[in-house]
Amino acid sequence: MAREQGGAVEKENRPGFWRSSLNPWTVRTKNNPERVAFVLHRVTGFIILAFLLAHILETDSPVWSQIVYHVNGWAFWNHIMGIESGLAFRIGEFIVAGAVLFHAPNGIRLLLTEFFGVGVGRPGDPKPPYVPFTFTAAQRQWLYAVFVVWIVLWIIAGVIIFT
Amino acid sequence: MAMDMEAARRSPPKQVTVRIRRYDPETKKTWWQEYKIEAHRGMTVLDALLKIKEDVDHTIVMRYSCRQGICGSCGVVVNGTPRLACQTQLTEVVSDANPVMTIEPLYNFPVIRDLMTDFTDFFNKHRSVKPYLIRNDKEEQENPKGQYDMYPDEYLQIYQYTNCVYCGLCYAACPVVAADPEFLGPQALMYALRFVNDVRDEGWKERFLIVDTEHGCHRCHFAASCSAVCPKAVDPAGAIQSLRSKLFRFRLGLYKRRVSKIIGPPPEKGEKVPLPPEATLLPGVDLKKLEEEPVVIKLPEDY
Repeated sequence: MAREQGGAVEKENRPGFWRSSLNPWTVRTKNNPERVAFVLHRVTGFIILAFLLAHILETDSPVWSQIVYHVNGWAFWNHIMGIESGLAFRIGEFIVAGAVLFHAPNGIRLLLTEFFGVGVGRPGDPKPPYVPFTFTAAQRQWLYAVFVVWIVLWIIAGVIIFT
Repeated sequence: MAMDMEAARRSPPKQVTVRIRRYDPETKKTWWQEYKIEAHRGMTVLDALLKIKEDVDHTIVMRYSCRQGICGSCGVVVNGTPRLACQTQLTEVVSDANPVMTIEPLYNFPVIRDLMTDFTDFFNKHRSVKPYLIRNDKEEQENPKGQYDMYPDEYLQIYQYTNCVYCGLCYAACPVVAADPEFLGPQALMYALRFVNDVRDEGWKERFLIVDTEHGCHRCHFAASCSAVCPKAVDPAGAIQSLRSKLFRFRLGLYKRRVSKIIGPPPEKGEKVPLPPEATLLPGVDLKKLEEEPVVIKLPEDY
């Protein structure tokens, strides 16, 4: 049908931007913590990127404040430090700490599996109940380890940040 | 997705509500339509759809063929999960507490009508990775003079990938295909590895160049949903990681593997080919003992 219409079907009915963007959240799969890790890796990546941009602005503030506001740089720095010692910024710091503490160990897991192909099992003869070899291989244990390490380190980070 | 063997033994609710996402290409309208059907034990989602088509609404369009999970035609999204309708028991998706089931066309595919999707892109991507044996000697490829040797462990390197039924569930579940429609997709990349792993094939350089692109295997981010929904445990997620690591070694000049050679001409028509006894017997069967005491199967007289 698509060929008869010269590919019109493909153009008209291709899933739209919102449907495509929501796909990681709308598709439900069983026995698939890798998908949770995929979504978390993306979200934490965006958080880290946003933090880095804000951090560059913050550390460079003694310089650009003199150009933009014509004030003493170090006075402006102290002003910013005063704002950042508030509770809202501590919560932000806690979120950034959580993002980094998940992104880094999960990144190591992804490097091992994606570049070196280790931990994904070897192809074989699937037997009932037909669980893919990747899901019984080492990467699944690494993933659970990543979740455990993440939660433990995040709790420690929370204690350090809020006390 | 692993088949739930226990599901067929349970009984579904007596009445099941089926919500189908429909699409009419003439008016270009999409809407949800609700049907109520009487369910019975052992009923699959495809049975439910056919019951609706036969008894309630003849205008529903869907694709199906074998009804036993071999043809891969009846892929739909049931309650948000891409599944083969014929292999999904109603008891897996509905319960007495929630007897409502939603059925949608496969995600990431253009919809032709109702539950029928257009696989043109999918098969074009499959073709693009050259899914056939390539030999350096073109004459040998066109007119092979014999058969190629292959050991059982080498066969196991490709066996699970040959189980693919082209149902498109992996493609529908992939979040990367959703974001990048030009991404080759789990099925095509898995098939590239199937031929890269095949010792009878010599075309790995060509395939590595095809998949080593922006929309090739580097685009995969290992969400592994393709493997989670695969009805045949083909495991495309593991295959793509394996393909990428082999490509990595190939780019470093470290990728090497055996290429099989022709072993003798093929047998003539009617010629008996002796096989090694261990290849033809079940474990625990003694050939000499069988010759001494042949097993006679007695059929009933009125057979």
